[in-house]
Amino acid sequence: MISLQNINKVYRTKTIETLALNEINLEVSEGEFLSIMGPSGCGKSTLLNIIGLIDEPSSGNITIANQTVNGYNSKDMAHFRNEKLGFIFQSFHLINDLSVIDNVELPLLYRKSVSASERRRLAEEALLKVGLKNRMSHFPAQLSGGQKQRVAIARAIVGKPNIILADEPTGNLDSAMGNEIMNILLQLNQEEKTTIVMVTHDESMARKTNRLVRLFDGAQVS
Amino acid sequence: MIKHILTLIWNKKRSNFLLFLEIFLAFIVLFSVLTLVTYNLRNYSTPIGFDTEDVWVAYLEIDESVDSLTNIDMKRRIKQELNAFPEINGVGYSNSCVPFNDSNNAFGHRENGFRLFSFVIEADVDYPEVMDVNVVEGRTFNESDAYAKHTAVLITQGLRDQYFGDREVVDSIYLMDNDEPWKIVGVIDAYKYHGDFSDENRVMLKYEPQLESRFFSALIELNGAVGPEFEEKVNKAIAGVINRSDFVIKHLKTERELTSREYWVPIIALFSICGFLILNIALGLFGVLWYNINKRRPEVGLRRAIGATKYSISSQFILEILFVTFIGLLVGLFFAAQLPILKLVDIENINYYYAMGGAMGIIITVVLICSFYPSQQAARIHPALALHED
Ligand SMILES: Nc1ncnc2c1ncn2[C@@H]1O[C@H](COP(=O)(O)OP(=O)(O)OP(=O)(O)O)[C@@H](O)[C@H]1O
Ligand SMILES: [Mg+2]
Repeated sequence: MISLQNINKVYRTKTIETLALNEINLEVSEGEFLSIMGPSGCGKSTLLNIIGLIDEPSSGNITIANQTVNGYNSKDMAHFRNEKLGFIFQSFHLINDLSVIDNVELPLLYRKSVSASERRRLAEEALLKVGLKNRMSHFPAQLSGGQKQRVAIARAIVGKPNIILADEPTGNLDSAMGNEIMNILLQLNQEEKTTIVMVTHDESMARKTNRLVRLFDGAQVS
Repeated sequence: MIKHILTLIWNKKRSNFLLFLEIFLAFIVLFSVLTLVTYNLRNYSTPIGFDTEDVWVAYLEIDESVDSLTNIDMKRRIKQELNAFPEINGVGYSNSCVPFNDSNNAFGHRENGFRLFSFVIEADVDYPEVMDVNVVEGRTFNESDAYAKHTAVLITQGLRDQYFGDREVVDSIYLMDNDEPWKIVGVIDAYKYHGDFSDENRVMLKYEPQLESRFFSALIELNGAVGPEFEEKVNKAIAGVINRSDFVIKHLKTERELTSREYWVPIIALFSICGFLILNIALGLFGVLWYNINKRRPEVGLRRAIGATKYSISSQFILEILFVTFIGLLVGLFFAAQLPILKLVDIENINYYYAMGGAMGIIITVVLICSFYPSQQAARIHPALALHED
């Protein structure tokens, strides 16, 4: 499903040069739930962004969902992200000026040929899966952190992506809420066979996944 | 997408309200100024109807002690003396209602089946030719009109249009001053004797074979440009006849320019104020957009991550601002439209339509220019960076 070969990422600023990723080789198979751990600053988010095509590696090859994306221009990548990928972030990234249902519909808005009624239907379906159908017309400010993250999950799954990329999805939540989110992700992985790559700081969360990859200073250590 | 943007605008109505208000007020101010300017420029663009190049006017007064026969003879002699100069083409007499001197003489009469109203200028037989009026229908005065039963008048096309429409007017007779019947002998294209910007188009030149008043004016048509020493000669010639030299000679061309300047100055001032206003709106708008887009970096990052192209980001921002602009303009148009609908001011509706179009055009252009660059910047936001910042 995901194949990374010799991925390097170098950040250059005026003063220093950071090697954020160093010769990463990673295979994720279809339906796998992979977790990535490692100390702060070791390159986890960078790796996830590169898999998610929102950042480009300095060198290396990426194949996702059987497509080699190296030659993609920014528009191709946008369409690819829209159709194949779902994103979940630590800080939710909901749009505060949009209601819950409008937030969830958002990815479908950037997809051609999805009618308004179809968008609504799919968004309601996604909200039902995360147990928030009764909060459709609320605004993000009226929700708890756990509820916000469930809305973000609904937004990530509404377009039926092949892969979900989650960057510390439980990082801002207490353990009860964190477990709730984790259970939803596990359910998605088991029932819908969605491939999930998740960055986490929490060993107990990582243990629930199929496989754990550890990064240290931009390199894979296990 | 359109519905999404409208939802976004509606949900942010509070912060969009100020922008709306700015657009609305700018429209009202621009509309008012442009109405005024359009109105004046449209008046300016119509022909003035007479010649001012190389035409002088002498404001003359004959002593009170002079009897009426001598009065008439003096007027005859002034013409004779002046016409003797090769530099002079002709001399015509009028009452003191001279172009650009702000005096008016108006008559109205209700007994014609309608209320006929007109400004009236008294003129002798030479006057139309000296002023070089353009007769578009009928004829100008001639000596025989002096013996006719009715007073001969020339009317302007504006007056004809207002009262007579397609009806035949030449040789028709109407009651005017003191129930005196006046006969229209011809139509001239215009006679904007209050200046280029004047909107008064109802004017009559009334034939007076003998101007009896001791106050009168002599319109002197020259053959071409002359030096100041010639004006001295003219002065002397007139003074020799009327035995006084306390009169003034003015050049119609200069008078015309001075009169127009009274309009140009406020028009240019208004334009400058509008220019500043537009510049202010532009800077304000640019600042607000710049600020908003920076505040919305995480949103842009998120949208890019979930599949928005650069183009959809920039068009979203431009459409958002354009929608708010349109709402502001729509409300502005609603108020502006009351002027032509209620006819609060007596000017042609077309002036309002030009002003509406102009104000909308200017505002939309300014908005597009100001939103273009910030929107491009928004599209360039790097999603990974923007998502990281929160
Ligand atoms: N835009 C950037 N410019 C320069 N350096 C960057 C940039 N983004 C990340 N880095 C550097 O790259 C390295 C990896 O960053 P990354 O965000 O991937 O870490 P992380 O493992 O996700 O850390 P955390 O657990 O704190 O989120 C860090 O040293 C960071 O300082
Ligand atoms: Mg990180």
